[in-house]
Amino acid sequence: MRIGVFICHCGSNIAGTVDCAKVAHIARAYPDVVYATDPMYTCAEPGQAAIEAAIHEYKLDGVVVASCSPRMHEPTFRRTVERAGLNRYMFEMANIREHVSWIGKDMEANTNKAAELVRLAVEKLRNNVPLTAKQFDVNKRVLVIGGGVAGIQAALDCADGGVPVVLVEREATIGGKMAKLDKTFPTVDCSACILGPKMVDVAQHPNITLYACAEVEDVSGYVGNFTVKIRKRATYVDWSKCTGCGACTEKCPSKKSPDAFNEFTGTTTAISIAFPQAIPKKAVINPQHCRQLTKGKCGVCAKVCPTGAINYDMQDEIVTEEVGSIVAATGYDLMDWSVYGEYGGGNYPDVITALQYERLMSASGPTGGHIVRPSDGREPKNIVFVQCVGSRDKSVGRPYCSGFCCMYTAKQAILTKDHIPDSQSFVFYMDIRAPGKMYDEFTRRAIEEYGTEYIRGRVSQIYPNGNGRLTVMGVDTLLGRQVEIQADLVVLAVGIEASKGSPQLAEKLRISYDSYGFFMESHVKLKPVETNTAGVFLAGVCQGAKDIPASVAQGSAAAAKVLALFAKHKLESDPQIAQVDMRRCVACGKCIRCCPFGAIKETEFRGEAKAQVVETVCQGCGLCTSTCPQGAIQLSHATDNQILAEVNALCQC
Amino acid sequence: MSVLDGKELRIVGFLCNWCSYGGADTAGVARATQPTDLRIIRVPCSGRVDPLFIIKALFNGADGVLVSGCHPRDCHYSSGNFYARRRLEVLKQFLPVLGIDDRRFAYTWVSASEGQRWQHVVTQFTKQIHDLGPAPRLEDAEPLLKVADMALTALRPLGTGQHAALDALKAAIRAKLPELECIIGWQQGRDAAHTVPLFMRTPEDVDKLVWGPFNVCNPAVYLPSFKGKKVGVVVKGCDSRSVVELLQENLIAREDVTVFSLPCEGTLDMARVDQELGRYTTIDNVAYDAAHVIITADGVAHSFCMADCAQGKCYGCATPSAVLADERLGTPVEVTPSDVTPPELALLDAMTLKERLSFWHGQMQRCLRCYACRNACPMCVCRDYCISDSRDPHWMTQEASAKEKLFFQTIHALHLAGRCTGCGECQRACPVGIPILALRQQIARAVAQLFDGYKPGLHPEDVPPLLGYEVVEQNIHERDWK
Amino acid sequence: MNFAYYPGCSAKGSSSDYESSTQAVCRALDITLEEIPGWNCCGSTPAHAVDTELSAALCVRNLDIAARQGADLLLTPCPSCLSNLRAAARRMEKPAFRQRVNELLDAPAAETFPEVTSVMQGIARQIDRETLAARVQTSLKGLRLAAYYGCLMSRPSELMRFEDPENPLLMEGLLSACGAEMVDFPLKTACCGASFGIPERAMTARNSGRILELARRLGVDAVVTACPLCQMNLDLRQKQAGRACETSFHLPVLYFTQMLGLALGLKRNELGLNKLAVSANGLLEKMDNLRRADAVEGGRS
Repeated sequence: MRIGVFICHCGSNIAGTVDCAKVAHIARAYPDVVYATDPMYTCAEPGQAAIEAAIHEYKLDGVVVASCSPRMHEPTFRRTVERAGLNRYMFEMANIREHVSWIGKDMEANTNKAAELVRLAVEKLRNNVPLTAKQFDVNKRVLVIGGGVAGIQAALDCADGGVPVVLVEREATIGGKMAKLDKTFPTVDCSACILGPKMVDVAQHPNITLYACAEVEDVSGYVGNFTVKIRKRATYVDWSKCTGCGACTEKCPSKKSPDAFNEFTGTTTAISIAFPQAIPKKAVINPQHCRQLTKGKCGVCAKVCPTGAINYDMQDEIVTEEVGSIVAATGYDLMDWSVYGEYGGGNYPDVITALQYERLMSASGPTGGHIVRPSDGREPKNIVFVQCVGSRDKSVGRPYCSGFCCMYTAKQAILTKDHIPDSQSFVFYMDIRAPGKMYDEFTRRAIEEYGTEYIRGRVSQIYPNGNGRLTVMGVDTLLGRQVEIQADLVVLAVGIEASKGSPQLAEKLRISYDSYGFFMESHVKLKPVETNTAGVFLAGVCQGAKDIPASVAQGSAAAAKVLALFAKHKLESDPQIAQVDMRRCVACGKCIRCCPFGAIKETEFRGEAKAQVVETVCQGCGLCTSTCPQGAIQLSHATDNQILAEVNALCQC
Repeated sequence: MSVLDGKELRIVGFLCNWCSYGGADTAGVARATQPTDLRIIRVPCSGRVDPLFIIKALFNGADGVLVSGCHPRDCHYSSGNFYARRRLEVLKQFLPVLGIDDRRFAYTWVSASEGQRWQHVVTQFTKQIHDLGPAPRLEDAEPLLKVADMALTALRPLGTGQHAALDALKAAIRAKLPELECIIGWQQGRDAAHTVPLFMRTPEDVDKLVWGPFNVCNPAVYLPSFKGKKVGVVVKGCDSRSVVELLQENLIAREDVTVFSLPCEGTLDMARVDQELGRYTTIDNVAYDAAHVIITADGVAHSFCMADCAQGKCYGCATPSAVLADERLGTPVEVTPSDVTPPELALLDAMTLKERLSFWHGQMQRCLRCYACRNACPMCVCRDYCISDSRDPHWMTQEASAKEKLFFQTIHALHLAGRCTGCGECQRACPVGIPILALRQQIARAVAQLFDGYKPGLHPEDVPPLLGYEVVEQNIHERDWK
Repeated sequence: MNFAYYPGCSAKGSSSDYESSTQAVCRALDITLEEIPGWNCCGSTPAHAVDTELSAALCVRNLDIAARQGADLLLTPCPSCLSNLRAAARRMEKPAFRQRVNELLDAPAAETFPEVTSVMQGIARQIDRETLAARVQTSLKGLRLAAYYGCLMSRPSELMRFEDPENPLLMEGLLSACGAEMVDFPLKTACCGASFGIPERAMTARNSGRILELARRLGVDAVVTACPLCQMNLDLRQKQAGRACETSFHLPVLYFTQMLGLALGLKRNELGLNKLAVSANGLLEKMDNLRRADAVEGGRS
């Protein structure tokens, strides 16, 4: 080999504490090194030109640059050597800035260490081989999981961009949590009025296929070529016939079915349509409460249905869809606040969640928009809002902020005053977090114009005081005194968590999730929409707490990522993947068992079972390589021999 | 090139590209001053760090090795670090048996944003290595030869097995013979005091089958070479665990293998028997009573009591009857397992780290590098592709140093982690009698301690612990860097 | 099992009724209490506020006596004593602390101490629900009671080890086994004012008043306590509490041992009921009437 070595000064960043010329001098004695120099700024245009020139002049077939972190400039220099005709993998970097010059001032030790790191890179490079990316086709269809506002936005943007969309929604209607809200902050406009048209667009868009009452059962394949199995739950109503006329719901005799859409603040019929603007506007039977399905006699809905859509024998159905990309937009659920025994643990009817309060305020809710106490139907006068119930509370394992509670509480306080002018609202808060556009102004309005009393402190206990009201005991930390309020209704801003089943979905998608079930983005700052699985993107609260504008923005961002991916006709696979040496493989299957991506499968090769890497699925972690005892599966660019060369460069006594 | 004398020690770091390497970068960007000793090797994932890289470094001059990956749950590859945690913890518990201070190796998790934590980890670890001083080298250790104390009490009575249902076994084999390509057992070897494997293909072959304390070798070793063919095997209890392990690893198919078993009463430690017999011309007679084997060689009678002369593994054996069998003959024997430290391991347990280094130096100088240990091992499934013979990957040189030989033993032991059933064939096959089984026993002990008493070769459906993980490990107590 | 018994100072003074009823109930339940000889004050509230080591030394001396007595379990009726004893035992696990405390003592303390627990937890641990129910002579059926634990009984939670420190249910378990109807009492672990009865009289009256007021609204026949100080604040200072709430209460406040004693059919003078500031006569009368009615009912059928 003919290797060229470039020891970058990085101005004085490196040269200040490393004798770069000496390192270059030492490097000249390393095996296969035919050229070594120490430029001032290697990454600058003249520096890169010098590398190209040296490759030509000295007929180099490998280059080592010792400079900053490869996480910074490895892609830059790979392009440089590629321009000069070398394979981009015939290049290695030694990090002598972040790992040497910036962490100590001892010139002698630094110079020695830098020279050793260069040696490491040279030895690695001597074991490198050219690698070439392979190309494959892309199936330009996208799956969006979750039909909340983020999923709706992603689906509509993709569909408008000409991409066929499969939208899967677990509930009977799309709309998610936003559809349940009465009004939205900071404009106090009607949630249903702004979301409704988007929901209708979804229903009518020729590029969108909607599966409601459906869940993702299984995902296989890789970017560009995923195969998704979707379980359509039995609704006992043939939706191809159902017109959503509602005749069945009027006549259904079983009226005690829990109303999930109304957050269980009321009951509904066993056959129901979630709410008047539901998309799809189709009836669904709750099998636990349907008399026909539980007791075998009733059949009223089947009799009254004008189109004969009722089918009591319906079974779950699995449909398979082929897509090239997936957007996860599964949103959130409220945490189980019954752990707060001091707030009654869910046993006091007049202590409710903020989402239940939204349903009480909503004109389409169980009370027709009249705020009344669940216990006795009286109009409450004193309403206490408690913030951070399951947010920022390590004692219940929820250290994070749920992000939007401060704002909706301000909104709810304002709306309460609008609904009941002689009411008084109190808000117990820890900090008011209102960083969005017009947000702080909005909370100020709640306080200044609507007379909401904000008390900075936690509530220690809520209990029914025996005369029909609730005693709320808390502390005002600003005044340093205890506070006791006699409340008619207490509204808890219950913290959020990733929606139920998120970890299981993450496993299916092979993406990471944090200990609360929120999906992990690829980079906290720079890749907030991508995941570590190519072709899978995130939108909305499934990635972390965010409000409606941010969810919509991320939905659009995910769509942009999908459209950018689909703008290419062929995709290139990263060649830094595992490869099986068929001779060495004994098909023991250890690699198959531990591959985090399911990228290895058993195949037959000349009549014998062997492992085979699915190149497009392999992400290049190398777990298989360290698992295989016979060294039969090697991760390209980080093979045993390449890492051994590095170890040997350091440890050779 | 060497480290700076008096200033630095050799410390090698393996950092995952996504979190810890980024964390080290973050520390650099923050100009967080750190000791200069550490040299970082960038790997894609902590799961890529084969424990053998660490051994390789420690054997060849490293005074300390540090592995750092993403925090559990934050792995870029979702679960690489979970696997790494198990493997690295097993390695950590293995190092002392080699005579290496386990404090010379540490693993931890540092995220890309934790520059300060990285600085802290490097500073702490470097200080720890400096406190320990330069690592003692195997080749500098004064060779020490010691033998294990074999005065042991067995968990069950040992005997000569002469009342075993051998005829019934032969009948069962004959009945199955037409369906099977071959049935593996034992036959008399060069004389009545030795056996060799028997491959029964005809009814006449079945007549040659023998049963007794000379049936030392493990016939399961031959099974993978019959993969895809219908084959039978006669097993002792210990051999059956190898069969289970091979099934677990998909190296033989359950429907292809018919297992014949008799309860085992123990086998002789042939090294000690041969030593007692000395040089002889002919074996005149072998006679048995319930507890003794009397071998008459060149007219001289030698009596071997089974309770005194059994193989080391027989004393702690809790599976005299096969754990899996299709044709089970004789009455199965139940033995309550007990955590007995095997004699070879007890020998090393009683030594200091320094003595262990000396011990292995002395023993490995005697190693002929014949690889009989490997060839006798039923779990050495790589066959012709053992990495000790390979240049790609090129783990080992052909140099005949104690270090390289011990490195091979370490490769074998680590490759057997969670797989070795302790059949002891490696040690039995060793022509110079090196107690290499101790290394496998230490691995087995570490695996059992870490993973709820897991013992390989009991259930074909078990997931071997090193091919699985728990998000929260019950028994792995990671180092606190505070 | 060998039970050592540490009565605590108030048992010999302000809460002698707690003491006598504890002794009577344990006797009736075959729990033999061996009072540790020569015990001293646990230090109560002031000691640990002034000096942790001296306060611990006071407790350790008692623990040491119990250890040398060969006790398996040390019982104390008072939650404050319990808290101090347990805290001292916990602190002694640290060698440096142990050494300093040992220097304060005449002789180094025993290496291990018996476990300390409250009489309430001790009874609940020894006597299961069915056994207790079988021993009941006079059922409490028809009585509506509020269990009031006070703020100290279940806190600090890691030391006192109740299943739910905010909502302990031990007393409810014992008394409901005797037939009583236990109301859900949200203020069961609220503070009565504790030892601030003298320096912060108004605050104590307010706190106690809130507890009594809720109990009255819930329509209970009596409040049942397990703490000498709580009992005193709710009982002895009931008039003050009433004034603070602009009302007047007449609510008997009994120790749970007194209530248990009634159920076990023990002699009423043995239970120290005459010591109560707010007379329990109404309660006893109600009980008698209820049982008489039962007898009539039983006779008729």
